[in-house]
Amino acid sequence: MQGLTKATYGFHRLDSLARGNTTIHKMDPMTKTITTLIYVVIVVSFDRYDLSGLMPFVFYPVILMVLSETPLKPLLTRMAIALPFCIFAGAANLIFDKETAFFIGSTSVSFGMISFFSIILKTILTVTAVLILAATTPMAQISKQFVRLKVPSLIVLLFSMIYRYINTALEETIGMYTAYRLRAPGEKAVKMKDMGAFTGQLFLRSADRSERIYAAMKCRGFSGDYDHIRSGIVPAGEWLYIFILTASLLVLRFFNVSIFIGGALS
Amino acid sequence: MHMADALVSPAVGVTMAAVSVGAIAYSVVKMKKEEDFDEKKVPLMAVSGAFVFAAQMINFTIPGTGSSGHIGGGILLSALLGPYPALLTISAVLLIQCLFFADGGLLALGCNIFNMGVLPCLFAYPLIFRPIAGNMLSNGRIMAASVAAAVIGLQAGAFGVVLETSASNVTALPFGTFVLLMQPIHLAIGTVEGIVTGMVLVFVRSMRPEILKSSSEKKSLGGVSIKKTIIVFSAAALIMAGIFSIFASSFPDGLEWAMEKTAGTAELANNGAFKDVAGSLQGQTAFMPDYDSGAAGIVGGLITIALTGIAGTIIYLVKRKRTCKA
Repeated sequence: MQGLTKATYGFHRLDSLARGNTTIHKMDPMTKTITTLIYVVIVVSFDRYDLSGLMPFVFYPVILMVLSETPLKPLLTRMAIALPFCIFAGAANLIFDKETAFFIGSTSVSFGMISFFSIILKTILTVTAVLILAATTPMAQISKQFVRLKVPSLIVLLFSMIYRYINTALEETIGMYTAYRLRAPGEKAVKMKDMGAFTGQLFLRSADRSERIYAAMKCRGFSGDYDHIRSGIVPAGEWLYIFILTASLLVLRFFNVSIFIGGALS
Repeated sequence: MHMADALVSPAVGVTMAAVSVGAIAYSVVKMKKEEDFDEKKVPLMAVSGAFVFAAQMINFTIPGTGSSGHIGGGILLSALLGPYPALLTISAVLLIQCLFFADGGLLALGCNIFNMGVLPCLFAYPLIFRPIAGNMLSNGRIMAASVAAAVIGLQAGAFGVVLETSASNVTALPFGTFVLLMQPIHLAIGTVEGIVTGMVLVFVRSMRPEILKSSSEKKSLGGVSIKKTIIVFSAAALIMAGIFSIFASSFPDGLEWAMEKTAGTAELANNGAFKDVAGSLQGQTAFMPDYDSGAAGIVGGLITIALTGIAGTIIYLVKRKRTCKA
């Protein structure tokens, strides 16, 4: 049940990080969203054997992390969630793809090893890119982007409300779990036979809460629509940033800097 | 079962995103059309989303195995809220998990919404759960329906993961082996999830029968609309497949151009005999025309990473100096 406490902590942590005041934080959220998406698409477009081409892409998360003063630790803990399945998919390459690709010194490197490391590196790069976006953009701003993108107000409202109530739901669950543990000492987790009542009770409490929330919203004049925020435009200077970043990413995509540097040395 | 970005190719990610956006848009339209849709449902959906998020984190012990499991929630939410609201809620939860918890990637979000939202909510629920559960008047039928729908929904979802990963060409795992690894594990997980889902629904029915009654009386998923759903999705899939194939066929050209730029050779890849013998090795040879440059690439790559680290440290130090001065 550690996960529950960790999730609560994680939420607070990202929330407080997003309230920073650096160049990256001040950037228009749309700029950050566009560049993150472009970066992720270019990173995953690499062939699984093109590890050396992928390596220079480390520059983006490193520079952004430093500029936005995002600490490494919260990123690393979240990385642990994404890695296991990727390691599973990558480990298969180690087993099925044993052909030697080249030698570094006298150690042979197989194609499987290359594709294994390229999956791991892709995971690290894409996960940090998305997390940096979340760690530098407050939730209200993210919802605003959806409004700008003309996402139906129902979905925007749903998204921001779920975010708001996750903490409450987590705290409720932790409370119920503590009570359960006190009644069932020595149990490692909830017994499966109690899950119906436990989760069902959690849902009923949630349903009751939603009644109260609805009443409160009604009191404040809620009409089923989201309060549309005026949508701004991306400043001209930031379009230039998007353009330059995309251009450099594309150069790195099609010109293998690693082979260039490695070749120049040997 | 959340897929990370590293497991999908851009073509697969974009295609699945388009399919999922279509399904979400369809659900929004269907929900708004429902005569009895009231705005009261929005807070209930939101709180249920938060509930599913928390419920997924409750570990429970599976008797006789010593291991523990957790629920996914697609079928549970469909039964509690109705399939369309459930899909919207699950999608929002997946987006939050992706952005704030690194659970599932941003580019892979379309795949995840499809595997864990669209398949259980719009297929397993109306086609399996509803016919078996009927009006949810008997506990036995609720249990049977939950187990069947959870198992089939999860099997379909797991198969989706296999298809999407294989189509993205990131793993050397042969398709058959991958299927054999994924399906049985998810059969067990699905059974357990189905039993727990059934138990939750039975509990909710005994405490507040009106909640289940209101969601089971909806006629929005009558026979005709299921047919329509399938037709709409098949059409969407076909259109996407078309776009996907155009994109896929133009993409190798881009790659060839890239390998010519980086390696100076594209001939190896075109060598027919070699292609036959080496089969899947084709792409590799193109990127590593001779083994020396492969090793050089890795060494060069490590150097670039080191240089990036140094650059990062310098920026960090300069920034710190400035803040100290200020």
